[in-house]
Amino acid sequence: MKQEKNLKIGRRSFLKLTAGAAALSGMSLPKKSFAGTEQRLSTLIDLSLCDGCVDREIPACVGACKEINRDKIPQVIDPIPEPWPRKTIEDWSHKRDVADRLTPYNFIYVHKADVRVAGQAKTIFVPRRCMHCDNPACATICPFSANHKHKSGAVVIDQNLCFGGAKCRDVCPWEIPQRQSGVGIYLNVLPGLMGNGVMYKCDLCVDRLTQGKLPGCIEACPREAMLIGSRAAIEKAALSRAARINGYLYGKTQNGGTATLYVSPVPFEEINKTMIKKPGQPDMKMNVERRMVGTDALGKAVLAAPVLGLAAAAVVGVWGRIISRKEKAGREE
Amino acid sequence: MTDKILTQENRVVRHGAMELIEHWAIALSGLILLLTGIFELPVGKRYYIIDVPGLGWSADFITSLYLHYAAALVFTAAAVFHVFYHGLRGEKELLPRKGDLSESVTVIKSLFGFGEEPPMRKYLPEQRLAYAAMALIILMLIISGMVKTYKNIYAPDMSHGILLWATWIHNIGFILFFLAFLAHMAAIALRPNWPMVRGIFTGRVRLDYARHRHPLWIAGMEPEPQDPATVEEGEQQPLPSEEAPVMEETEEEDLPPGKPQPEEDKT
Repeated sequence: MKQEKNLKIGRRSFLKLTAGAAALSGMSLPKKSFAGTEQRLSTLIDLSLCDGCVDREIPACVGACKEINRDKIPQVIDPIPEPWPRKTIEDWSHKRDVADRLTPYNFIYVHKADVRVAGQAKTIFVPRRCMHCDNPACATICPFSANHKHKSGAVVIDQNLCFGGAKCRDVCPWEIPQRQSGVGIYLNVLPGLMGNGVMYKCDLCVDRLTQGKLPGCIEACPREAMLIGSRAAIEKAALSRAARINGYLYGKTQNGGTATLYVSPVPFEEINKTMIKKPGQPDMKMNVERRMVGTDALGKAVLAAPVLGLAAAAVVGVWGRIISRKEKAGREE
Repeated sequence: MTDKILTQENRVVRHGAMELIEHWAIALSGLILLLTGIFELPVGKRYYIIDVPGLGWSADFITSLYLHYAAALVFTAAAVFHVFYHGLRGEKELLPRKGDLSESVTVIKSLFGFGEEPPMRKYLPEQRLAYAAMALIILMLIISGMVKTYKNIYAPDMSHGILLWATWIHNIGFILFFLAFLAHMAAIALRPNWPMVRGIFTGRVRLDYARHRHPLWIAGMEPEPQDPATVEEGEQQPLPSEEAPVMEETEEEDLPPGKPQPEEDKT
């Protein structure tokens, strides 16, 4: 804590920092720096500061998120159409108060990690939500482009376009998005045969950002354990904080890089040992590769395919002409 | 132009080796694209496709993407090759001609016993129209697929508006491509078109069939000097279409009724 006070970089100072940078780059109003959401943003979660709000019924970040998104999901149809042939229905509409895991009605929760480091017991609280990856498979692989990464870095599911097929959850290394059946566009198409609801997850309060406001969880945190700012500023701060506390980073390289950087005084391997991966409760493995990276080389070849086809046509065409001229000359002889 | 009459063998070369390679490259890669495109939808688990032996990977979207990219590489290169190769050679027989629409109606009517089938060129009017339609669908799929591929690799945060256009053009193109494939198969299933099926495997069709149904094509070739390698000296020149020998003289198969259908072959 002492170190944090010395650092003197708080939530509001980050706002100022960001606004100053925006002003220099031609943006006049501080709000616009978020409102435009053109600059890439990152968030920092400092686990040396988070105390899990143990004195509250639910952590402040979770409560704020719930409040902001209270009416986000429309009325769930009753009865929910039974999907065919696999009859999986995921209905959280009667369990909206659940706060200890991710659900369609709960985009952030706080994991309590009792760890032992250097023989000492320590409790670390880890807020968990979407990491907003740099190249998120959940978005790029969405068959309807309902899930999309914004210029700001926020990865946002448009609930009006999502069919709830849960592909995004399958390809997310942390299986973050959660499904609510019985809502969404699929009800207007073939609800029994295709689609199964809408996927929900943290959208970095993208609507609030466009209004120049902070994401709810960041604004509500009483300990300023969460920050948001320009990518460069957050990265610098995360590295600086980690260095000061001789701590550790998470989120910088995982899944090809993310817009969420955790700073922790204890190794994430130790934190991960306290996490048993379950639906809605992701773990924190260090080695999280971006699976789609393997497909990139082939994708680049696809982008070059027209040139390949053109070159082949030229080669074969010229070769054909040479052959036909030779044949013609042979016949004339 | 590789078309050539082989009188002794009662065959006409309808497609050269290059055209066969083009057709099958596009056909096979197109089928893989269709299948892996379907598997890019969350259907593997829901429809228990993963339980089908050999299709356990159908719910692994990354594996499907590998295959989709590999097939897209062949598909796109072959399509671009096709356009430029035949464009540079000035081969336009598959392009729609004036009057194809009304002529197609005449042909379809004749199929149901109303009127006579008109004399045909190398390709039926429906084939030329179907070719143009398929070319448009393939163009839609390639361009939109390129945008999506570029997004996957370089620009996950590209304009959502552009991405939505690309996505829906790709999805609609997928449906149209699937329907076009079904229509293609349906055309092959029609008896009058059976003699042409051989052509897309071997490059050759029966000469008597071609004279009967594609007299304008044959007439265009017959004035040309015959290749000494294929026509023996003193051999009788093929007869004009109206004097063409009937089928039973040359083949064991019955003469097809001569009712053309769309999309027998694509090159």
